[in-house]
Amino acid sequence: MPGGTITLRNLTKRFGDHNAVDDISLEVHGGEFFSLLGPSGCGKTTTLRMVAGFEEPTAGQIILDGADVGRMPPNKRKVNTVFQSYALFPFLDVAENVAFGLRYQGCTRAEAKQRVAGALDLVQLTGYERRRPGQLSGGQQQRVALARALVLNPSVLLLDEPLGALDAKLRRALQVELKALQERVGITFLYVTHDQEEALTMSDRLAVMSNGRIAQLGPPRVVYEEPESAYVADFLGVSNLMDAVAAPGGDGTCRLTIGEFSLTSTCGSLRASGPVKVAVRPERVGIEAFVASGDNRVPAMIERTVFLGSSTQVVVRLAAGAGLQSVVRNDDPAAGWVAGTPIKVVLPPDALRVLANDGGTVEQIHEETLGDVAPVPA
Amino acid sequence: MAVTLPDATGAAGEELFAPSPAAGARTPPAAVRRSSIIARLRRRAVFLETFTWLYLIWSIIPIGIAVLFSFNSGKAQATWQGFSWRWYVTDPTQSVLHNAELHQAFVQTLVLAGLTTLITVPIGVAFAIGIDRWRTRTASALNFVMIFSFVVPELLLAIALFFVVTDLLHFLPLGTTAEVAGLVVWNLSWPAIVVRSRLVTIGRVYEEAAADLGASRLKALWRVLMPMLMPAIFASAVLVFAGVIDDFVIVEQLSSTAATQPVSVAIYSNVHGGLAGPALNALATLMLVISLVVAAIGYVGYRLMTRGERKNTAEALTTIAGM
Repeated sequence: MPGGTITLRNLTKRFGDHNAVDDISLEVHGGEFFSLLGPSGCGKTTTLRMVAGFEEPTAGQIILDGADVGRMPPNKRKVNTVFQSYALFPFLDVAENVAFGLRYQGCTRAEAKQRVAGALDLVQLTGYERRRPGQLSGGQQQRVALARALVLNPSVLLLDEPLGALDAKLRRALQVELKALQERVGITFLYVTHDQEEALTMSDRLAVMSNGRIAQLGPPRVVYEEPESAYVADFLGVSNLMDAVAAPGGDGTCRLTIGEFSLTSTCGSLRASGPVKVAVRPERVGIEAFVASGDNRVPAMIERTVFLGSSTQVVVRLAAGAGLQSVVRNDDPAAGWVAGTPIKVVLPPDALRVLANDGGTVEQIHEETLGDVAPVPA
Repeated sequence: MAVTLPDATGAAGEELFAPSPAAGARTPPAAVRRSSIIARLRRRAVFLETFTWLYLIWSIIPIGIAVLFSFNSGKAQATWQGFSWRWYVTDPTQSVLHNAELHQAFVQTLVLAGLTTLITVPIGVAFAIGIDRWRTRTASALNFVMIFSFVVPELLLAIALFFVVTDLLHFLPLGTTAEVAGLVVWNLSWPAIVVRSRLVTIGRVYEEAAADLGASRLKALWRVLMPMLMPAIFASAVLVFAGVIDDFVIVEQLSSTAATQPVSVAIYSNVHGGLAGPALNALATLMLVISLVVAAIGYVGYRLMTRGERKNTAEALTTIAGM
């Protein structure tokens, strides 16, 4: 079992009378890529800063490989951080930046030189030793920040939105690289991001956070496909949310009433009854001609179609009033139908997920997933 | 800035009145030509330009005349009698070089400026870091006192210091010691404010990065914060140095004999005595040159030190000009 296990026990951080982090407990295994995912203001960065040692917990414990480090100053912890702004020292060149922390590990000059070269090789920046941070591109600065932290052989690497300042294309390339790097060095990565795509593609496990608490924790596929709440469903990618009334159906299914129409669901909280939220992903919403008939089909009207490139988005409105998004193939006949065309919407039972009711309206949930500040559209 | 806005509207105006190709080919309408003349006038911003030039002439000409007559070969302040270095070096008794009083004043000014800068800047830097990084009630109280001393009239402070020195602190004699003490108090807010504003710009992330990499608080301060503060420290040294050269009120109160009078006081007392003549112009010119050189060094130095940071022209100018 490699080192680098972090256990958070009832961790709480209060600023004034606001609970930025509200009693969270979780365990990150050694060598795991673990993400904290959530909108800004959800407490993910505060959690990371407490693990790094920049903020002192109000209550609770941070246990790193068996020792409580919650009150330990940052320079004594075997964790290193890659900052969102990189925080490279502008007056030092790349090699001096990477060597900065080695002095405190009692390295000889020759050993330091060798380790700096190794770290720069790891992030493919050999040859850039004498450049200043100001002479590097954003992606290169990000690699220097990684090398500067990794050269110290930490048990855990903390990453605070490290790709946030880069453009979309570079971000996607670096996601792959970062994951490969983590597998190569084999240390624990605790990764903070508001970008669900980043968290889903790189993490072994992730925790979706909301208002200082963990909304759901698990492997990306499980959290994505089986969201436990409307909040998680809405936050993890575009998901259609609708209000419905549930009643237990036969053979473990759930009978849903949306407006005046009755549908069957075979996934989610099937034993729910009364008002619930129902989620369905756009790629599972089928569109058929109005004359089609069968189970789980409801009448609707096309509101508009948007060409997305590889697919076409069709926005429809149910007769019951709710709006839904569907994503269809470009050669699907529905892609060519004009606004106002009456149609039937197919909501397959195994795609119609019944969610425990969070209490809020659909609009309130949307607002919550946007966080304190609306994220910049990517 | 004032020029670009009319330029844009002017161009838009022209386009608005532009004739269609067919009509324009035959008769260039008078309206078009008139509107383009107005646009051109507005583009030049004649009024603003004239006013700016008048202001510059009004402020520079008196200084130019004073400088010019420091090179006059005669004693007159209004008639040009030929160029000479008489009032600087060649006159055996009255030149700045040979008149002991003026010579001494010049040295005294440089001594005061040097000593005050050496003492004020380290204290001010420590002050700024203390107030900004260790936020306590004491820190905010000190900050208030500092800003208060920034707005208090200089004469009030000078007189108060005079009484403190003569009645209370007998170990602090009038003369150079008291002058330096007073100048340090008066100029302390420069480094404190300039360095603090840079601290705010830098933020805490670099110190956090240093701590994260294993540096103790003190090591982070020394290895990371200090190098990043250098431009501000340098700029405030320039400001303090230039400020002391200019100072009159405090040194006038706290100097004792003629031997501890700096240039400003010497010029003041001699203008009323009327003895030194154009040698005073020469002395003032020397001080002007030193001020300009210090300001130039400050501007160039600040730009060199903040090289690679964005938009530093305006920042360098405003920092050196004392914001």
